[in-house]
Amino acid sequence: MRDGRLDAKREAATLAEPAREARALAERLGLTPYPVRYWVVDHDEMNELIAYEGFQRRYPHWRWGMNYERQHKSDRHGLGKAFEIVNNDDPAHAFLQESNTTADQKAVITHVEAHADFFANNRWFGLYASRGEDGPNAAARLARNGDKLAAIMARSDVDRDDVERLIDAVSSLSDTIDQHRPVDAARTRPDPTDGTGMAADESLATIRERIDDLDLSESVRREVFDEEWLDAQEQDADVAEPRPDVLAYLRDHGKRYDPEGGKAVDREPWETTVIDAIREEAYYFAGQKLTKVMNEGWATYWESIMMGGEGFAGPDEFLTYADHMARVLGSPGLNPYKLGFELWTHIERLTARRDVIDRLLRVEGITPETFHSRVDLGEITESLAPHPAIAGAGPATLDALADLARANDPRVDADAVDRALSVRTGDRDPAHGPDIERYPWKLLTFEGLAERHYVLSRPEHCGALRAVSRATLQERARYMFDVDRYPTVEAALADVDRTAPWRRLFEVRESHNDVTFIDEFLTDEFVREGNYFTYEYSRAGDEFRVASVDAEDVKRKLLLRFTNFGKPTIVVLDGNYGNRGELLLGHRYNGVALDETQTKAALERVFELWGRPVHLATIRTEYTEEAVRRARRRGREPTGREVGVRFTYDGEESTEHELEKSIADQIAAETVDYDTKPDEWLA
Amino acid sequence: MGITRDRKRFREVGEQRREDLAEFISHGDLGGSGPDRIRIPIKLVDLPEFVYDRREAGGVGQGQQGQPQPGQPVDPQPGDGDEDGDPGEEGGEHEYYEMDPEEFAAELDEALGLDLDPKGKRVTEEVEGDYTDVARAGPRGTLDVDEFFKRGLKRHLATDFDGDYVREGLFVADADVDDVFTWARTKRIPVSRAWIVDAAAELETELETPTSALDRWESFDELERELQMEPAHARIGREGFRTVPFRREDERFRHPEIIERRERNVVVINVRDASGSMREAKRELVERVFTPMDWYLTGKYDEAEFRYIVHDADAWEVDREEFFGIRSGGGTRISSAYALVAEILEEYPFAEWNRYVFAAGDSENSGTDTADSVIPMMESIEANLHAYVETQPGGSGPNARHADEVERALGDADNVAVARVGGPEDVTDAIYEILSTEDGAEATSEPREVSP
Repeated sequence: MRDGRLDAKREAATLAEPAREARALAERLGLTPYPVRYWVVDHDEMNELIAYEGFQRRYPHWRWGMNYERQHKSDRHGLGKAFEIVNNDDPAHAFLQESNTTADQKAVITHVEAHADFFANNRWFGLYASRGEDGPNAAARLARNGDKLAAIMARSDVDRDDVERLIDAVSSLSDTIDQHRPVDAARTRPDPTDGTGMAADESLATIRERIDDLDLSESVRREVFDEEWLDAQEQDADVAEPRPDVLAYLRDHGKRYDPEGGKAVDREPWETTVIDAIREEAYYFAGQKLTKVMNEGWATYWESIMMGGEGFAGPDEFLTYADHMARVLGSPGLNPYKLGFELWTHIERLTARRDVIDRLLRVEGITPETFHSRVDLGEITESLAPHPAIAGAGPATLDALADLARANDPRVDADAVDRALSVRTGDRDPAHGPDIERYPWKLLTFEGLAERHYVLSRPEHCGALRAVSRATLQERARYMFDVDRYPTVEAALADVDRTAPWRRLFEVRESHNDVTFIDEFLTDEFVREGNYFTYEYSRAGDEFRVASVDAEDVKRKLLLRFTNFGKPTIVVLDGNYGNRGELLLGHRYNGVALDETQTKAALERVFELWGRPVHLATIRTEYTEEAVRRARRRGREPTGREVGVRFTYDGEESTEHELEKSIADQIAAETVDYDTKPDEWLA
Repeated sequence: MGITRDRKRFREVGEQRREDLAEFISHGDLGGSGPDRIRIPIKLVDLPEFVYDRREAGGVGQGQQGQPQPGQPVDPQPGDGDEDGDPGEEGGEHEYYEMDPEEFAAELDEALGLDLDPKGKRVTEEVEGDYTDVARAGPRGTLDVDEFFKRGLKRHLATDFDGDYVREGLFVADADVDDVFTWARTKRIPVSRAWIVDAAAELETELETPTSALDRWESFDELERELQMEPAHARIGREGFRTVPFRREDERFRHPEIIERRERNVVVINVRDASGSMREAKRELVERVFTPMDWYLTGKYDEAEFRYIVHDADAWEVDREEFFGIRSGGGTRISSAYALVAEILEEYPFAEWNRYVFAAGDSENSGTDTADSVIPMMESIEANLHAYVETQPGGSGPNARHADEVERALGDADNVAVARVGGPEDVTDAIYEILSTEDGAEATSEPREVSP
């Protein structure tokens, strides 16, 4: 990156302090981010980084050029303004655009610190990170792949177009990996030869072909290569269980079609190198795709705490920041930033509420039945408010904080208070003392900050207690021992643990991915308050319509959207289909059919990696014209018939066939149903 | 370095995979393009993937105001089903290869073997060229310092002379002021008599002797033999420039040269029959022929103006957006349109504008309108090209004779083209037929092989 330029240098200098302080604040808030290296880049470099998915060096490919053009175009229309790019690495690298306002830069920095915390602590990122001794080392790894592939393309004995075609093919399948396991564990066979001297990753068909080529007499052939031996060989390529890691299977058992010889031939070593490189990158990006909602929501949540709550945006910058936030959260559609942000806040609120309810239910005389009448919620909100000196920490409350510090109050950073006092008395150079005017949080500990930002004392969330239903209360009371422990409400509230919500967030951040996150935390209340709904395509009306506002339906639809990257699950069913060494893939049908145009095109890419005919089994719903017409008349949806289909590509043309019943049964859904259409449209 | 390489490659890949131009014109979706950007579909540039059918999958949305009612129609949410969709990012319209009209025109030349060479017509401006003209007066800033200096120097050289040398003349035996002056003049020394008088007086005071008494040299010849006159440049080299006399009359001010620019400008009048017999299929064929021609001419000319006329028995002018869609009832009188064409073209004098008049219809016209009115008007309206495009899917009817009559009457004129389009497959031929006909065009263009 060019850093000799004056503008970038100047900008970098002004950002050094915000970056340092944001890190200190993040750590005080309990985050443990990877170190972050910040780079100041200009507008063109930013677009370039976006095109390369956040990295400076990637392998040569037209797709990056396409990304760039696209970014450039949306840029021209004032859309898609890039605020942050950060990549998951240890240390993480983050890029700041030099022309952004300081408020934007600060927002990006706080956002990035939270991302870096997520990278470092989320288990799904760990899948990738744990694979090397030196951590993810992503930038270096991707750059190395870039060099490797560029070197292959430059070779005189390799046709550049062939390399590109191979990259295209593997990239097309980059989501058909086993993203729930680390890249190496997902591979079927670590050892390329198994002692027979013959590469084990040869399909049975090839072995038969080779035997045929040997031109042995029938008797010898039977003697040496009996069926038992062949069966033993077959174990490797044979698919006893459907395999989800299609790409690994193709890598290990696939071939290359040689148009001149008209048959499949073994791959050149460079081809395997290319496949491995792209597959490795697919695993790197899988971590991000699996946690998009959580990760963006996490970053947005902490950004709002730091920028808004802790005044990291100066008073003059706050409006710019608020505007930025409104734009991020306000963009239409299902927005991962917003969904994630709301879910995290929801978890925080529920955790706090549960804690408060649990304590209140232990107050003498308070039961689920008497809760709403006995408890004065206004009063409770008041008593949950943070200590005034904590809430207003800063130069004005320094004496009050000093009193607390003397009493060993865990919420106060006694050391910092001490130093601030000596600055005030002139015993300490202000340049070395904590700048409590601008960074008042330096006076507080994690406990202090947790109280300062306690969710139920924030005005927009205090209604959460009022909204609690009797059913919820009863649910809590049922599992409660030790009832009647507190004599008064005040005593109960004094025990409320204000760090509980954040500690809970940290736990969730460690173990979940988007699917489990949504599955566990998307509640009725959340769907209702967020006005979420599902929509479905109406065949009768030839339009999309709102289908359901039911929380279960919304959740199911969202899960469809996030399970397996929101893509259909494709597995290897048979590597020797029809006993001809052909590949049979199966779409695990869950009631949602494939996009057939794309499927056929993707199947052609599979052929590139298999070298022999390829098939894909799926199920689709067919409607007779008559049924559609009748349904339209009655304002209902037509009933279709589910039919098994096998798409085939043999290297020349795409064909469709009826699917064998046994295979159809194998791929059909168990019990999931993603259809949220009502029986009858109300409209 | 990397991004330049990858963008170039994307361009190449896009070019390979975009729809063939002739195919695009005949069958492609012209609607995605605007007058400035022509968007040609690229066959599947983004990599295919195994994905759900959008309609089967449905989705989740968020109501802006309250929870919506089931059954209410919604647009699929932007960014939905696209996991890279960052907020504010534009949705995924990327399967187009975009070209500007210039590139389109060049490509069409290539694809159809056209070779239209637009003529510059109107003098649009007298632009300021380089500062190559000079004048004696002007703002100080434009003073040509080089010239000023050179002139000063020239003057200096012209008036400068070796004073010591001339003074020596006074030392010649018996030579007086007049003798010295005559001698100096024959030597082309630019000295005045007054100067010699002064010099003589000086010497007389200095030496206290009349100059006639001084005789260091026997004659002027001897003087010339013994002494060399010092050339001016040597003296300047020795004494420097301080003595160069700068004068007001040496000042020269530079000002720009005025260049006449002739703009290659064109006005295109598109005329279309909107009468009842012009059904959807015919209208679409008109659009297929006219739209690429508009793009082509936009790309070829510096400035292109388009006017749109529709007619039935009467003619009226419309905007481009309305032009291809309008359908009216009534009969057909094509001359009504040409009357309006003539009126509109008054704004575009032929001396200053290239003019194209493209008319299209199904060749039906009322009575003897074609022979009595249209043909004479086509002859009288000056234009680079008059074209008539007959769109008649399934062949023309017995009453549809306009194209035939025009062809019979004016087919030999080198600025009239008649093309017949029965279906999309005829579109590119029609475009070729029209655009390869132009007044005088044949004279300048080499015949070329047509590559479809």
